[in-house]
Amino acid sequence: MNEQSFTFPLLHNAIGIMTPFLLAATGGLFTELAGMLNIALEGLMLIGAFFSVVFAGLTGSLVLGILLGVASAVLAAALFAGVSLNLKANVFVAGLATNLLASGLTVVLAFQLFGNKGVVRFDIPKLPSLTIPALARIPILGDLLIGHNILVYFSWLIVVLAALAIYRTPFGLRIRGTGLGARTVNSLGLRPRRYQLAGILISGFTCGLAGAMLTLKLSAFVPNITSGRGWIALVAIYLGNKTPWGIVIASFIFGFAESLSNFAQGAINIPADFILAFPYLITVLAMIVYSIWRHYRTRL
Amino acid sequence: MKRQRQIGELFAGGVGLAITLGISFIIAVILIILLSKQPLTTIYYFFFGPFTNKYYFGNMLNTAIPLVFTGLGIAVAFKSSMFNLGGEGQVYSGALMATVILLALPEISGYLGGPIALAAALTTGAVLAGVSGFFKMKWGTDELISSFLISAAVIFIVNYFITGPLDDPGNSMLATYPIGGQYHLLGIFPPSKLDISAVFAIIVAALVFFLMYYTHWGYEMRMCGLNREFSRYGGINVSAYVILPMIISGALHGLAGGVAIMGTYHMAVKEFSYGMGWNGIAVALIAKNNPLGVLPAAVFFAYLDAGATAAMLHSDVTFEIAAIVQSVIFYLITAQAIYSLLRRRKRTRP
Repeated sequence: MNEQSFTFPLLHNAIGIMTPFLLAATGGLFTELAGMLNIALEGLMLIGAFFSVVFAGLTGSLVLGILLGVASAVLAAALFAGVSLNLKANVFVAGLATNLLASGLTVVLAFQLFGNKGVVRFDIPKLPSLTIPALARIPILGDLLIGHNILVYFSWLIVVLAALAIYRTPFGLRIRGTGLGARTVNSLGLRPRRYQLAGILISGFTCGLAGAMLTLKLSAFVPNITSGRGWIALVAIYLGNKTPWGIVIASFIFGFAESLSNFAQGAINIPADFILAFPYLITVLAMIVYSIWRHYRTRL
Repeated sequence: MKRQRQIGELFAGGVGLAITLGISFIIAVILIILLSKQPLTTIYYFFFGPFTNKYYFGNMLNTAIPLVFTGLGIAVAFKSSMFNLGGEGQVYSGALMATVILLALPEISGYLGGPIALAAALTTGAVLAGVSGFFKMKWGTDELISSFLISAAVIFIVNYFITGPLDDPGNSMLATYPIGGQYHLLGIFPPSKLDISAVFAIIVAALVFFLMYYTHWGYEMRMCGLNREFSRYGGINVSAYVILPMIISGALHGLAGGVAIMGTYHMAVKEFSYGMGWNGIAVALIAKNNPLGVLPAAVFFAYLDAGATAAMLHSDVTFEIAAIVQSVIFYLITAQAIYSLLRRRKRTRP
């Protein structure tokens, strides 16, 4: 196997694999900026994954599947928001509850509907792949950027929209303000809770899409298919220093690590588990280095 | 006056807890009516199944044991305003370390291996959590995120050892070689799996209670938990109480893993401890971080699992309904709105 033929699919796959991280992290960025630790990303993603493939299977339409799957994730996010904002439950614990609910509910429903707690396959069309001629013409990167499925391109659009919303609109300013000081926002006559609600619903939307991508790519539901991706997305927000572009880079690193572990089996002699542990170790190191840097900077 | 307010608080807390549990039970009944073709049988087994025979009852108590340890671990950390989110990894790595020690020791060491293995499990958990406390003390690294990340990484590394170098090809599971029979903890309630570690769990809960409420360290930990700045002003060495609660918390988590191996599993099975860390958080919250309250809270959490298991075996629902009911409790247990509503009502009457 020569160098070229190995590197290209590695990078090309990484771009596909990074998409669920990227989507979930971009949505999670809104809650993070609004000052809430959103650990429900994992559960919201799982809800989106389950309902999108089930609805796609029932209706025979990918579009309806994605729409209803995303709607389910937004609904679950609304429940999370209602409990944490209106009933004033601890956000962290409500997030745990959402994850637990998602893992229980999806298995219970799969068992009820299909009599099966394992892998459920659906007879649905594949996600269409796109080749955008304008991207193909970009030198060097061109070939890497084409031939992905439609949700990958949609995720890029979402990142751009998110960056615009966060930095160029009053809404984004207020969301960031809520995170910095809810009372200040309140004193300006605004309701910080509304912006927190908006943040949670946005994270429900993007996590729903992230989940849909996981199951629709396989045309099947696998119990606990998200397997920690929501957590990695949360980590990507931190590693990306809470900016959309940082999140793109962090998600790519995680996508690349997973792509590498897929290829490495047999090719390189590193156990897959070590490669899976790698993103977490990198992030914790980055966090420590960052806090050391901050520590000594404030001292001087 | 103060006493009256305390009783009022206790009343609001108790009624709030009752409301939370009541709602979760109602949701359990609704779920069963929706999902089951024979709802009455299912409801009977879900609520009363764990009490129908010694086997179910003993196993329920046995499920509660690791939750007592993890619940205590979380309670100590929360009381000191520290967040240990690495419970999952600390339990799992503690279990692996105990297994490794017991597999490595020569047979001649006899019963002595047990305490050594538990000490190793305890140390492993303490180090993993202590590291997060250390970073927090030294450079202010957020211990909530760092403990979670370290634990998440450790879980994969433990998986590697269980399915790789330590995997026993003789069994069909992804599990290590079994530990020697002399290390199995004594069963105390046959035919169930309940073993002597239940007594150990109660003793540890009492010790943690004593530590937190009747010792100098416990007092200072709680003071730091209430207000770190004020404690610093009062002359408490607050930076020590960033590390100590994490070490104790991690040690208790590691112990949970070691005890689970020696008492119940007798080998490290891949992902066997999944949920023990997370559920410990729920247990501590139900107990309002009171070490003695952790005991009934852990039994209650185990009861939901046992009920769902009985309902699955005797009727037509799947075990995971327990997760849904537990999630309802999780949702409501910290809901301040419920408690403040009760408190306000109490206050309007002079």
